Amino acid sequence: MAAVSATCVRFGTSLNQSAKLNQIAGTSTSFKLVAIGWTRTGFPSLRTSHFRVSCAAKPETVQKVCDIVRKQLALPAETELTPASKFSELGADSLDTVEIVMELEEAFSISVEEESSQNITSVQEAADLIDILVQKKSEA
Amino acid sequence: MFPYMRGASFTMKLHCFDKKFFNSSPLLVPVQPPSRTETHFWYVLPDEVKSEALLRKYRELLPQCEEKKVDSMRGDELRKGALLARALVRTTIARYQINTQVSPRSLEFTTNIHGKPEVRWHHSDDWLPPPLHFNISHTSSLVACGVTMDSPIGIDVEEKQRAIKNNVLSFVRRYFSRHEVEFLSSILDPAVQRQEFLKLWTLKEAYVKALGRGFSASPFNTFAIRFGPAKEGSFHLSGNSNSEACCKESEILVESLDSSTHDTSTWQFALLELAGSHYASICRRKDIAPEGKASVPMKLKVWKTIPLVEDKIVSGTDSAVIIGGLS
Repeated sequence: MAAVSATCVRFGTSLNQSAKLNQIAGTSTSFKLVAIGWTRTGFPSLRTSHFRVSCAAKPETVQKVCDIVRKQLALPAETELTPASKFSELGADSLDTVEIVMELEEAFSISVEEESSQNITSVQEAADLIDILVQKKSEA
Repeated sequence: MFPYMRGASFTMKLHCFDKKFFNSSPLLVPVQPPSRTETHFWYVLPDEVKSEALLRKYRELLPQCEEKKVDSMRGDELRKGALLARALVRTTIARYQINTQVSPRSLEFTTNIHGKPEVRWHHSDDWLPPPLHFNISHTSSLVACGVTMDSPIGIDVEEKQRAIKNNVLSFVRRYFSRHEVEFLSSILDPAVQRQEFLKLWTLKEAYVKALGRGFSASPFNTFAIRFGPAKEGSFHLSGNSNSEACCKESEILVESLDSSTHDTSTWQFALLELAGSHYASICRRKDIAPEGKASVPMKLKVWKTIPLVEDKIVSGTDSAVIIGGLS
């Protein structure tokens, strides 16, 4: 499902990096994929996935998600928001999460199925799903 | 000194730490577990827990993995709320003295296949764990735990004044059932509409949590909460001038809108106004009386508590006003 885009060029290089990383970490599983991306805020976003191509979401997407989450949860300025930030750790309850999903739907003109909404537990997961849905929409 | 300890074997089986714990905290007062028809509801107001020493005591109740989870919360108030939730559930279940070997710290928790937390009792040849169920909910200003015997339970609490960032009607059109959209659309005052939305939200959340299958397995638009006319002999509402629109003494029903197999007539609800500031919903299975008689109305006991310090029964007072359901 990897589309030809800047995101996946990044994926290409990160494969080499992941091989290196696996060596350093001493992991023996050859199927582990590590996708590394850098967000605009300079925080590395790291995700591992098994048997699945994982392209890190666009930095702009991540930033927009962060903005919406920060507003919805009324986070104090000193609360650091990273792609790895989990909504529950930021104090979001179920109503907050659904409100966030709805705002993301409106901001990106997408529709998130209820079944998928349970997979959105962090900024990164939201951004990844958004980019997939936006991509699907543009292909339709 | 320890009237609730039965037999010398109890002290010998206690872990050294737990023995010290009971010696220094005689205020773990035992409570009679709920009967099959009873629902227990305990709540803590975080603002009333100010002692650092007490918060440290709560920390000592947690296994390392739970402490780590508490510490992963981003912010002092969030950490405190998470800590209180764990302390509340551990002390409450321990107080039911289901098993003399149980202390708040020794309790183990696990999750069902959908991720719903439950107690992991240690079975033995001569002891079957009781069917004790619990469910937790919290907002920044209130932490609650509901307990039942032999019935799944789901609870949800929300602040009455909670702001909804999205437009309420857009939100419910997206997520709720048509009946509920119609109901909320008919309320013209935006403040009342928001409060009725919050009541509905907590009832729907409580139902999904009682089902124990997670939000995604029971999408909110596949079932509708309806307010029916008050049943004869329903719980009498103690005067509350803030009672809004619809559900004064009403029966609360859930109706399934898809072809799901679960029997919605077996669930009963209670909707409360707690401490004047929160809505709380409780959902559990009805206890069907024998010989096909009408099911027994929910008997609800509500405590305001500070774990390890004090508790006060508040059911029937202004701190716990029933605004719907129970039958």
